[in-house]
Amino acid sequence: MKIAVVVQRYGADINGGAELHARYIAEHLSRHAEVEVLTTSARDYVTWKNELPPGEERVNGVIVRRFPVAHPRDVRRFGRLSHVVFDTTHSIADEERWLESEGPTSPALVAHVRKSADAFDFFVFFSYRYYHAWHGARAVPGKAIIVPTAERDAAVGLSIFAPVLAGARALMYNSLEERALIEHVTGRTGPGVVVGVGSEIPDRPDPRRFRKRFDIRRPFAIYVGRIDENKGCAELFSYFERYATMYPHGLDLVLVGANVLPVPKHSRIRHLGFLPDADKFDALAASDVLIMPSRYESLSMVTLEAWALGKPTLVNGQCDVLKGQAIRSRAGLYYENFDEFAEALYLLEATGPLGGILGQSGRAFYQAHYAWPVIERKYLDMFERLAREPGTPMAPRPGWFARRARTARPGAEVVAAAPSGAVRSR
Amino acid sequence: MGEFNVRSDSVDVDEIMRQIRARIREKRGADYTEQELQQLAQVKLERFIDPKGIRSDLVQQFRRHAATSPPLPNFAFGEDTLYETHRGPVAAIRRLLRPILKLFFNPDRLTAALHIQSQVNEQAQERLARQEAREALTYEVIHNLTVEVTRLGIETHNLKMRVESLSSRLDFSERRARSMEGLTPARSAQPQRPQPGRQPAATAPATSPVPGAPESTGPLNAPVGGRPDAPSGSEDASGGERRRRRRRRRRRPGQTLADRQASSESSGEAGADMDRDQSVDRADDGWSDEGGDAAESGDDRGGDANDAGQSDDTSDQ
Repeated sequence: MKIAVVVQRYGADINGGAELHARYIAEHLSRHAEVEVLTTSARDYVTWKNELPPGEERVNGVIVRRFPVAHPRDVRRFGRLSHVVFDTTHSIADEERWLESEGPTSPALVAHVRKSADAFDFFVFFSYRYYHAWHGARAVPGKAIIVPTAERDAAVGLSIFAPVLAGARALMYNSLEERALIEHVTGRTGPGVVVGVGSEIPDRPDPRRFRKRFDIRRPFAIYVGRIDENKGCAELFSYFERYATMYPHGLDLVLVGANVLPVPKHSRIRHLGFLPDADKFDALAASDVLIMPSRYESLSMVTLEAWALGKPTLVNGQCDVLKGQAIRSRAGLYYENFDEFAEALYLLEATGPLGGILGQSGRAFYQAHYAWPVIERKYLDMFERLAREPGTPMAPRPGWFARRARTARPGAEVVAAAPSGAVRSR
Repeated sequence: MGEFNVRSDSVDVDEIMRQIRARIREKRGADYTEQELQQLAQVKLERFIDPKGIRSDLVQQFRRHAATSPPLPNFAFGEDTLYETHRGPVAAIRRLLRPILKLFFNPDRLTAALHIQSQVNEQAQERLARQEAREALTYEVIHNLTVEVTRLGIETHNLKMRVESLSSRLDFSERRARSMEGLTPARSAQPQRPQPGRQPAATAPATSPVPGAPESTGPLNAPVGGRPDAPSGSEDASGGERRRRRRRRRRRPGQTLADRQASSESSGEAGADMDRDQSVDRADDGWSDEGGDAAESGDDRGGDANDAGQSDDTSDQ
């Protein structure tokens, strides 16, 4: 079996959520099938500037083919078009312009996908919202499997995505909430499975080494990820400072990750910057609880990693996916305002056994749903199923006049009308 | 405040969150939904609720901006406006050439558009005037609202203080009532302790309680004047000694007042003696327990003062 993984960026040092997800999947599937990665030369997800050389290379044993991006993103144009398609009644042509401005616009990549359609059994496209996935899936509709990595944002409500998501051979979801949202918005009924992604969890993380190296002695809560307002970090800082005032002897907060947002100077907040994986896992093992303040997540890998290490989590309850996972896994608490944040964090630090019980549940949940053998089996089962079953044709692109009719509803309005909330059943 | 109840075999995150919310409700007294909080945040009501948040120069700012705007420039635009001139011959030539001009373009449309624009300008002027009038009303409403909310805030604060004061008083009263209730039967059952350096009372004090009077007032109201130093009256020393012996015989450990009464009645002792003995007993108890009562009430005072900072609670004693 020959599989192509098509993703917007790819590299051993590229750690974006969907990109890392794609790399893990490619590397693990390569143990069962012949895998090739098709991607762009971009490294920066904002500008999509060509930084990596086009052509073929190997990353961790997997063949990677890079194709140049035709032009970098014009941020102002993208912002203006985003407003048009998300907030106003618009046309499909507007949406296509928006997609083209979002990037990474790589016609060479799409042309290669079309040309090599017969060379692969399936194409696994990551991130439905980008140029490569939309055009690529349309180029090979009978072999397109999409890993949408969709968040509950206005993009999923755009009308250009519905036929592609509904017409792909299969969708590999990250969560039950993502599946419910996509199926509602697109009306999809075809094959799909909630898979997610595993992680490379070390066998023996060393919390003492971490504490010694960074001279951290007090118990602490940890946040791992990009320190960005979009990730809810501003709210986290505000909440934690108030919590620290309420509980002077409570947990400290340790931040791991590069910062876009300035970290407040506070005696109980410690920013360690970006850490290699070994240190990151040591830090997680040394922590009492992982805090995940983001409102927009299709799957939080670091949350899964914390559960794999038996650590409880405290997540933003306004993110349906995180809240649903916390409830289903019985491995974490959630908050929707400061009072809940403070009480839940205090509970996790004060009620000693609770953290341990939640952590155990998390470990079991991770083993049952996100261990690599489980993930790999789900992908392989889906490939086998699709090889047996015939596909349904994807709806064609509308004609010239239909594309210019200003009848498309604002994306934000479509998403707002979709049912929300955590899915409670396992 | 409710304790969290988590069983290791069945962690239910929703249940824990319900308990957390219940705890928050207990702390806060009222619970807003997230939607309500969002609405409150959107209208930025806090700015008006908090008098410190209001700009001190709000009135001046308003007055400065509230000055009536000068009328906007406008013009009346009719059919002939385009061709008007103060020079008679030129006007005549234009009138003559008007049909030729119409061959090149349609000036009527231009005239109509400019006429409409003129009307739009007038309407805009009227709207602006109305808006300025509304602003004055808005300011007045906001001002009154601010004053009222501030007043309500202060009143709420005062009411909170009163509730706290009343609850601490209630708490103190309850504790006091409980201690009183527990005190009387316990005291009745308590064997008489020897009073070092103190002679036993020979007779009941002048204010010694009459049998059947409320017992709770006995120990606290027993006057010092009724203590053993008081003259014994008609009783002599031998009589007192005899009575003490008799009392010792009657009081055995674990024996209650009722038991004593029963035993004395069965032994055929005179009712008058019994009454006198009880009076003496009560006087003795009142004396010997005063320190204890004082200590208790002192504790209560301390606790109460700590709880609510109300020094006037001590006056209840």
